[in-house]
Order: sequence, then C-alpha cells, then structure tokens
Amino acid sequence: MKTSFSAKILILLAVIIAFFIFINRTGYYRNLKNYFFSLSSSWQASLWQAGKDNHSFWTGLIEGRALKEENGILKMENQELLGQLAALKELRKENALLKEALKIGSKDDFQLKLCDILSKDMSGGSLLVNKGAKEGIGKNMPVIIGQKILVGRIGEVYEDYSEVILITSSKSSFDAKISEKETYGLVKGGSHLSLDLVPKEKEVSAGEIVLTSALGGIFPKNLMVGEVSSAKKSDLEPFQDIELKPSFDVSGLESLFIITYF
Amino acid sequence: MLRKIFFSIFLFYFLSLVQSSFLAHFRFLGLHLNLVLIAVALINLFLKDEEMGFISAFIGGFYLDLFSAGKMFFFGFYTLVSLLLALFIKFILSHHVKIPFARKI
Repeated sequence: MKTSFSAKILILLAVIIAFFIFINRTGYYRNLKNYFFSLSSSWQASLWQAGKDNHSFWTGLIEGRALKEENGILKMENQELLGQLAALKELRKENALLKEALKIGSKDDFQLKLCDILSKDMSGGSLLVNKGAKEGIGKNMPVIIGQKILVGRIGEVYEDYSEVILITSSKSSFDAKISEKETYGLVKGGSHLSLDLVPKEKEVSAGEIVLTSALGGIFPKNLMVGEVSSAKKSDLEPFQDIELKPSFDVSGLESLFIITYF
Repeated sequence: MLRKIFFSIFLFYFLSLVQSSFLAHFRFLGLHLNLVLIAVALINLFLKDEEMGFISAFIGGFYLDLFSAGKMFFFGFYTLVSLLLALFIKFILSHHVKIPFARKI
C-alpha cells in the first residue's frame, strides 16, 4: 500500500515536471500570468496602497525619535541645498543662453511612461507594474522615480504588465561612476548594493554620490544610483569594498516612470 | 475532498495576494514572511489526509509562481519547492516523529 502511494507521488511529480517543461518551452506561462494579473490587479493595487500606509504608520510609531533627529538634519541640509539651488538656477540660465548661442539641444530629455506598482516579488528583487507590451514597454528599459533616481530595469514583459528588476536585486549589475570624479565601477545588487572593481588607488569616501555611466548602454548617463555608505581597502584585494545606500525605498513607492526612449 | 480543494484554491489565492502586495512592505527579522509556504508546512504537519497535503502544496506553489513578477530560474520553481517541502515534512513525520495529535486532526 505504501509503495503504491510512493509510486503515485513519483508519477504525479513526473507529470508536474513535464507540464512545467512544456509551459516553459512554449512560453505559455506569460499568457497565464497576464490573465491572473488582470484578474487581481485592482485588489493588488488596493492592497499595495494599504500596505504602504500601514508601513508608514508603524515605521513612524517605532522610529519617532530617530525621525525627529533626522528631520532636524534634513532641515539643515535643505537650507544648504536651497542656497546651492539658487546658485545653480543662475548657472542654468547662463547655460541655456550659451546653448542657444551654440545651437546645442538638451540630450537629457527622456520619453517617459508612468506606471503603478502592483506587487513585490517574494525574493524582494523585483516589482510588478501595470504597463506591458501593449503600451510599448520592452525588455531592459530603465525605470526611474522623479528627480532622475534609478530604480531598476524592465525584466519580463507580459501583455499588460511588466517586471521591474530592482538595482538591489542579485540579477542586476551595471556600470556607474562617482559623481564629479573619473572613478568608474560596477554596481552589483545582492544582499547589499555594492560598487565593485574600483582600484585601491582611487580615493572614495562615505557620502559621495554614485551616478550611472553610459558605458553599459542600458541606462542613460547621470541617473542617481545612491550614495557611498562605506569604503574599505584591504592589502590582499586589488579592488575596494564599497557599499552603497540606494536613493529609494521600495516601501515608499507607488508610481514609477519607465524610460521608453533616451 | 472537492470542497477541501476549492477551499485551498481560495485560501492560497487570498494568501498570495496579501503576501505579494500587502506584506511586501514589511520585514520580520530582516526577512519577508512567506504566508503560502507557512500554510503549506502547517497543513502538511497537522492534516491527516496525505493527498490533500500534496494538493495544497501544489496549489500554494503554483500561486507563488503565478504571482511572482518575473520567474525564479524557471516557471514552476516555487511549485516544486512547495511539493518538496510537503514531501520532506511527510517523510520526517512518518520516519522520525511520533506526535499523537498530529495524526488525529
């Protein structure tokens, strides 16, 4: 009796594996997923919003004191930045006038598509958004939030939905540089976001801003990736061990922009 | 049996929705809580009906595959993980553990 049960299980497993091989080879799983996403997208959107609100509430409650301190620091930083902004506005005006004089167009304008987040993958490395192949979304298109902050790139594309592979995912790696320096490296996701292949001779310190470079060809240059949280040098390693802090928090996000053309 | 299967289909659909959209914002001890796999483990631990345990594992895993934005290695990965979890629990229970109440429910 016991053997027959084991045999049944084995046959069942073989049938299931055969079914999955078929569905993976034909790509039929994309249609199946698209159907299920269409069926549940309205509930997913409401649950995502509810989760976001609850997360903000509990985080506020738990981290109240830390937030107060952070708020004070941010206010000071804000004032400093306002000063810098005023100076930059003047420079922008001057720059625009010079560009007009030299007849150079701005190359930083992107074609963007707004999309809403529906869910986050169990692995935490990707998001599901409500724009897909029907809206002209394609694989590897960069995904940003306002202020040109890089979030990730498009992975799997379904008819009405797409997967966004976050830069913090272990599937993600791309070229980047440290702002205002000619120091290039490879940003890699995983357990933490890191900047690899930066030689020991280069000076890198905490707080420096990391931007995308045009080297890899996937992302437009000068999108903000994050800031250096720590940089360590070892005598045994030719490269530095640099950890980055991403400029976005998935829990605070609701909408994203997909760059369809740059 | 059919009623239990329908119940599992709705239960795991609800759990997958909550997990992928609501609980995705929260971390417990630095980890995302996987309600579906926890439910599969509990069902296989405490349900007497062995077939139902495997059916639940299949349904739960299949929903995890459906609701993941991309695919982990291949479509069906979570289903196989869930079925292997059920098999492992059944194996441990039948060979190494004697819990009287676990068999009576």
